[in-house]
Amino acid sequence: MDTPLVWQSVLGISLMVVIAYGSRVLGLLIMSNVPLGPRVRRFVDAMSSSVLIAVITPMIVHGDGGVRLAAIAAGAVAVGFRSPLASIAVGMMCAALWRLWLA
Amino acid sequence: MMLPLAAFTVAFGLAFGVTAVQRGLADWEAMLMSLFVFAAPSQFAALDLWHSPLPLLALAATTLAIHTRHMLMSAALYPWLKPLPRRQQLSMVILLTDSNWAMALGEYHRGERNLGVLLGGGIALWSAWVIGTAVGLAFGGGITEPERFGLDVIMLCFLLMIVVGGNPRAVMALPWLAAALSALMAYWWLPPYLHVMVGAMTGGLITMMLPGRWFGADS
Repeated sequence: MDTPLVWQSVLGISLMVVIAYGSRVLGLLIMSNVPLGPRVRRFVDAMSSSVLIAVITPMIVHGDGGVRLAAIAAGAVAVGFRSPLASIAVGMMCAALWRLWLA
Repeated sequence: MMLPLAAFTVAFGLAFGVTAVQRGLADWEAMLMSLFVFAAPSQFAALDLWHSPLPLLALAATTLAIHTRHMLMSAALYPWLKPLPRRQQLSMVILLTDSNWAMALGEYHRGERNLGVLLGGGIALWSAWVIGTAVGLAFGGGITEPERFGLDVIMLCFLLMIVVGGNPRAVMALPWLAAALSALMAYWWLPPYLHVMVGAMTGGLITMMLPGRWFGADS
């Protein structure tokens, strides 16, 4: 691997570390000064789930049938059974079977 | 209570390791992330952005948007950590993550005041995550056609599960739909990587504009 690429990765990961720990600490620091109001809480809460939706929507729309079936199945299992591992396992199985038989 | 959670976490770490190898990350890159970032959703989301040259700004913005959640979580723990000196307060939250937070807060509401639950749970999950990543990295490289086994959908299913598997509320349907649509349009028509930020902001703003009473007394 080239040296510039290594530094780029190190920089990227460091950024993630700083943000990840920073957000954990920031909550404490803010609370020790001003308690967050309900509107701000709602905004932050909705933003952190919406960001995940924003990441996965193009994957589903531009994915093949296997990806779409996996998304539907995994979502249904997650809602119905509340079991994260089962959800991922069913999703993988659906994608694999779709590609085995239909693709 | 802790043991099944740790076992789950090993499996998630394994999934992360395998996906990281398939996405072309070097072993040390994936390991560094698991060791120090220790946050499954942002690590999985980062894999999606991991192209050369690395879109650092998009990476930072995505991580930030995902992690604002942890800000709320540590804020909720503040009453518990309040008696400690500041330095200890700050070190208690290093290993804070979704599942040990939920567990620790549950214990706190049941009257537990021993902070060992929080720290011990964090250490157990962190070890499980790192071990899982190592195993995934070790075996993930041997798989040549990841699509055949559905390995390429692990990330998608994981993120989807985080969103809908937690505690989905009907009131979030509108913001989430808006987030999905705006992200998709941004994905098509705006410069690369902006769609994540656009979706996050849309979801957040729409939620803020909805009447507060729709969210019940707890918000």
